[in-house]
Amino acid sequence: MNTIVCVKQVPDPEIPPAKFKIDPETKKVIPPAGVPPVISVYDERAVEAACRLKDKHKGKITVISMGSGKASDVIKHTISMGADEGFLLEDQAFENLDSFGTAYVLAKAIQKIGGYDLVLCGRQAADWGAGQVGSILAEILGIPVVTLACDIQAADKKFRVKRTVKDGFEVLEAPMPSLVTVSSEIGLPRLPGGVGLMLARKKQIPVWKAQDIGAEASQLDKANAHTEITGLSVPTRKTECEMVTGGTPGEAGVNLAEKISKLI
Amino acid sequence: MGSHKGVLVCGEIAEGKLSPITIELLGAGRKLASELDEDLSTLLMGSKAGGLGQDAIAYGADKVYVAEDSLLDDYNSDAYTRVAADLCQKVLPSIMLLGHTDVGCDLAPRLNGRLGGGLAMDCLAISIDPATKLLVSTRPVFGGNAHATMVSKSARPQMATLRLKVVPPAERNDSRQGQVIPFEGKVDPSAVKVKVVDRIKEEVEGVKLEDAEVVVSGGRGIGNAQNFGMLRELANILGGAVGATRPACDEGWAPTRLQVGQSGKVVSPKLYVAVALSGAMSHIAGCLGSKVIVAINKDKEANIFNVAHFGIVGDYKEVLPALTAKLKELKSK
Amino acid sequence: MASREVFWNIPYGYVIYVLAAIALTFWAFGFYRRYQLWHLGKPDDSSKNIGKRIPVFIRTTLVDVLAHRRFLRDPYPGMMHLIIFWGFIILLLASAVDAVTHYIIGHIIGTPYLWFKLIVNIGGLLALAGIIMAAYRRYVSKPKRLNTLLDDGIGMALIAAMLITGFMVEGLRQAATELTLHPDWAVWSAGGFLVAKAFADMSQSSLLFWHWSLWWFHSVLALAAIIYSGLVFSKLQHVVVSPLNIFFRSLGPVGSPAPIDIENAETLGAATIKDFTWKHLLDLDACTNCGRCQDACPAWATGKPLSPRKVVQDLKVHMLKAANNQANQSDSAPTLVGEAPSEAEIWACTTCAACQETCPVYVEHIVKIIDLRRNLVLAQSKMPETAQLMLRNMQSRGHPWAGVQSLRLRGDWTSGLELKILAEGDSANTLFWVGCTGALVERNVAATLSMTRVLKAAGVDFAVLGEVETCCGDPARRAGYEFQFQVMAEQNIEIFKNHQIKEIITSCPHCYHTIKNEYPRYGGDFKVVHYTQLIADLISQGRLKLASKLNSILTYHDPCYLGRYNGVYLEPRRVLEAISKPRLEEMGRSRNTSFCCGGGGGHMWIEEQPGTTKINQMRMEDILKTGAETVVTACPYCLQMFEESIEHKQMKDSLKARDLVEVVEAAMKQS
Repeated sequence: MNTIVCVKQVPDPEIPPAKFKIDPETKKVIPPAGVPPVISVYDERAVEAACRLKDKHKGKITVISMGSGKASDVIKHTISMGADEGFLLEDQAFENLDSFGTAYVLAKAIQKIGGYDLVLCGRQAADWGAGQVGSILAEILGIPVVTLACDIQAADKKFRVKRTVKDGFEVLEAPMPSLVTVSSEIGLPRLPGGVGLMLARKKQIPVWKAQDIGAEASQLDKANAHTEITGLSVPTRKTECEMVTGGTPGEAGVNLAEKISKLI
Repeated sequence: MGSHKGVLVCGEIAEGKLSPITIELLGAGRKLASELDEDLSTLLMGSKAGGLGQDAIAYGADKVYVAEDSLLDDYNSDAYTRVAADLCQKVLPSIMLLGHTDVGCDLAPRLNGRLGGGLAMDCLAISIDPATKLLVSTRPVFGGNAHATMVSKSARPQMATLRLKVVPPAERNDSRQGQVIPFEGKVDPSAVKVKVVDRIKEEVEGVKLEDAEVVVSGGRGIGNAQNFGMLRELANILGGAVGATRPACDEGWAPTRLQVGQSGKVVSPKLYVAVALSGAMSHIAGCLGSKVIVAINKDKEANIFNVAHFGIVGDYKEVLPALTAKLKELKSK
Repeated sequence: MASREVFWNIPYGYVIYVLAAIALTFWAFGFYRRYQLWHLGKPDDSSKNIGKRIPVFIRTTLVDVLAHRRFLRDPYPGMMHLIIFWGFIILLLASAVDAVTHYIIGHIIGTPYLWFKLIVNIGGLLALAGIIMAAYRRYVSKPKRLNTLLDDGIGMALIAAMLITGFMVEGLRQAATELTLHPDWAVWSAGGFLVAKAFADMSQSSLLFWHWSLWWFHSVLALAAIIYSGLVFSKLQHVVVSPLNIFFRSLGPVGSPAPIDIENAETLGAATIKDFTWKHLLDLDACTNCGRCQDACPAWATGKPLSPRKVVQDLKVHMLKAANNQANQSDSAPTLVGEAPSEAEIWACTTCAACQETCPVYVEHIVKIIDLRRNLVLAQSKMPETAQLMLRNMQSRGHPWAGVQSLRLRGDWTSGLELKILAEGDSANTLFWVGCTGALVERNVAATLSMTRVLKAAGVDFAVLGEVETCCGDPARRAGYEFQFQVMAEQNIEIFKNHQIKEIITSCPHCYHTIKNEYPRYGGDFKVVHYTQLIADLISQGRLKLASKLNSILTYHDPCYLGRYNGVYLEPRRVLEAISKPRLEEMGRSRNTSFCCGGGGGHMWIEEQPGTTKINQMRMEDILKTGAETVVTACPYCLQMFEESIEHKQMKDSLKARDLVEVVEAAMKQS
């Protein structure tokens, strides 16, 4: 079974909130110094889902990522987890694309790779979190989509996908090929083992530019963007916190009980 | 673009009634429509949708499109997308609103992909820019660390999914007039490529997290699944529910349905007790609507203290038993 | 002239030499089979640099074999082994003297003969007393650490029988000869004389007959013991294998596993017994199952499943199984980690090296455990979740602390300090390497700040890396995630070289050990000092002036990686004595017997398994016993662990945990 996984490199989402800085002028985030970017959490789980399917059914995992040169680190990380091949989509024309533009570039790359049974994406990126690239991509590719998967099984040329909903699960049956977006409920991604790390070290990550995948300039023109960001701000919401103390943590707990028992 | 007009709300039906988010959307949509001086319409899908047309009108809709088909009784991505897309292509709305619910999260991006609109997901606020008459959507980005405002200059429809409980529900006015228009949504069963084969409902013991008046949440600092029992004890005394952060759910200490935060549930209880969680913005996004937030954390620099009303700096393992015991004592009095 | 005839009453006595040759052949055959067993393991370089080993071996023999330094830390079993050991050395030498003098001068004559008799008798009595002590301990008082096997009983019985029959033979000979002819000679053989008295009434012919019979019985018994120990590979073999193991013991740094050759590695870590080196398999045979390591192990003491003794013994079982399989033509060696040793055992180790420090035969436990972890992590992806979380953070964030957990960024601590922070292209002679915990965790940042102030006050010219500094790789290495360690080691060495660093000051003993002792194998040779060493020097050079009055009773906790791993015991004490000489109260377990805080080997992040108590709480008991008001340490992990247990015990008012550098700074302020 051949799987293509789309991944994105994002600023580390676990930086302390106090360190989060933006430039409201350029509407960009200023990444804190000394904190390396990481693979978007949900994308890493999409790779995990692909690896689990590969563990069972063999096949090949190809990873694509659109981003700057450093994003090849992220692709290498997926190779250490068990992906077989990776391509970096890097072109000035790809910078600051909206969801449609991103989905278009990914679709072009996927069509170039071809021969897939499954396309996986994270449910949303950990940075801008638009949460729609996967679905738009499926529409462009003309394949069915299942979102927010927490389990994917393959049998008889079909996928059985468990999907998280408010009060439980839905089990869906999707044909091959399909696109599935993966949610965190699928479980922790694996820690790359020795063999994977070794392979990743040696792996060359080819770079594809717009012309390599046959992306048309008109589709990448920012003037045709479907959405535009007009403002970026850090919400201020500092509450005055009353510290409850006591001789011991236990006493503090007792004092707190007195205070909150009046609230309910 | 010029031909797109009006605000269309994609309604949802739950247990034979308009779901709460639909009433909120109608309220928000009504405001937008009035500012634009355009119509507010709504789409209801399902074999019994017709019966709810008048309800939707009472809540503010001018037109209610009703697609009655038993295939639409339960949410199916392929069928819903087909019907909603067909309607949009027919009535050409300028703005389309959906709820940020199980249905909206799946339907909105797909519909957008098909229609080529401009979509903002999980919006905290929507408004009309008085100068450009464009829909301005405000949504959390970077895990809630920042808010972004977005517009669609040319793509139509301008779409948004609205988070639950960020706008007040529309007020019901049974004297309102409107039209209920049957919509011949052609759902060809062969077009349904992805079939729902099973729905598993997870029974929740005690109070449901979303409805609870008190929520006691734990984070990575709890350390193991066993210690979540201490939170449960406290929640029981307070008649509340237990919640958890994403890392705690990832570790398997609490089931995912208890996850509070941006990618989990959004709660707004009277009292929210945050235990051994540092307060990542993505988590805070899920509990900020709480009336009173209490934080218990070892680290006095933890971000949760920035949003809490009461705080204890200390080891929860020592604070909680005393707190629970004292509350029990106060309750028995 | 006083003397005696060798082979008296034993016609054809030389037959014993023939029999001995046969016995030794059997023994050699048994030993060779065992030698083959060790060579199931991989080759390593232990058999090279013999020249360097000889002086080390001589020194170790003097201190740990002849003087029994390690044994005597535990008085009863130490003394017991000491008297058996010396008893047998005397008996062995005496037999050699008998054999040699017999063919040269007949035997020793005159007064020297009398003294000889006395010494031999004392040797025999010592050994006998030792065996009685051993039997009492093993079968009556039964301390928990002993795991008694049939072989223990057989070995003990053989020795006891040899000793008793030895005295009987001596006594019967005396009864037949010296007792009547030269009673003044007889009294010199204290043991034999008593036996002789008892048999004095026996007829001469009976005496001769019993002497002859028992002489052969005694001699054959000794040979039987040699054959038995050779073929069964009894514990008695330790008299040969233990010195061998000491000879080939690792001369490298404590607990440092060999690097994995990433490009060519066939196996990752130890999956089967064959993946260990032959020296590690020799360790398994050298282990006498004495249980000293188990007694010293903090994991065992706090009710965790790990006993270093059991791990070694379990691995020995694997070695025998593998040999069996090979003999049966099936080449497969059983997978190591499963029932025994279990994953829980493997992960309970804090790599504190108390086991290795106490082992009289220099078995190396830690490297074995790390090799087992390596296989679990690198080949099987099996590890506790908290270990995985830590390793993922190492991989994606360059340090073991999770982002939101630490609430700080790497370079935050430097703000407003006017430090020389190395930028691209800068160079410096001396680098202060802060370490992840010292840069990221609030409590430890306080110690780091204190450190910079002390260094500045002493006029030390140093630079820091600030936000560029990453982890040294220690937690990854101890947890078996070797590749991550290698990546970090290589990166850091490159950074040091780019900035032309010559000397590195570390505040964390784990960084200290890793950079000082493990980086050289990756091409990083730098002068590395721990700050306690530096401060001790600064004080003795008069560059740091300390007021001597700190009105507090202190106790000092030796961090494992500073003490046992690197032998730095004196410098921290010298520093403390410069401040508070009469007020330093030592703990019962200190210096090389210091008890772990629970934070090493990755356990700062890997959750401690449930047991009877936590390791840091057990250590807190030691601290409280001293009556100290302040516990001083020189490791960020220890500091964290003590802060945690102080909070747990709610003792914040009566006991403080301080980094040594904080104490130094406080003492400076008063001057």
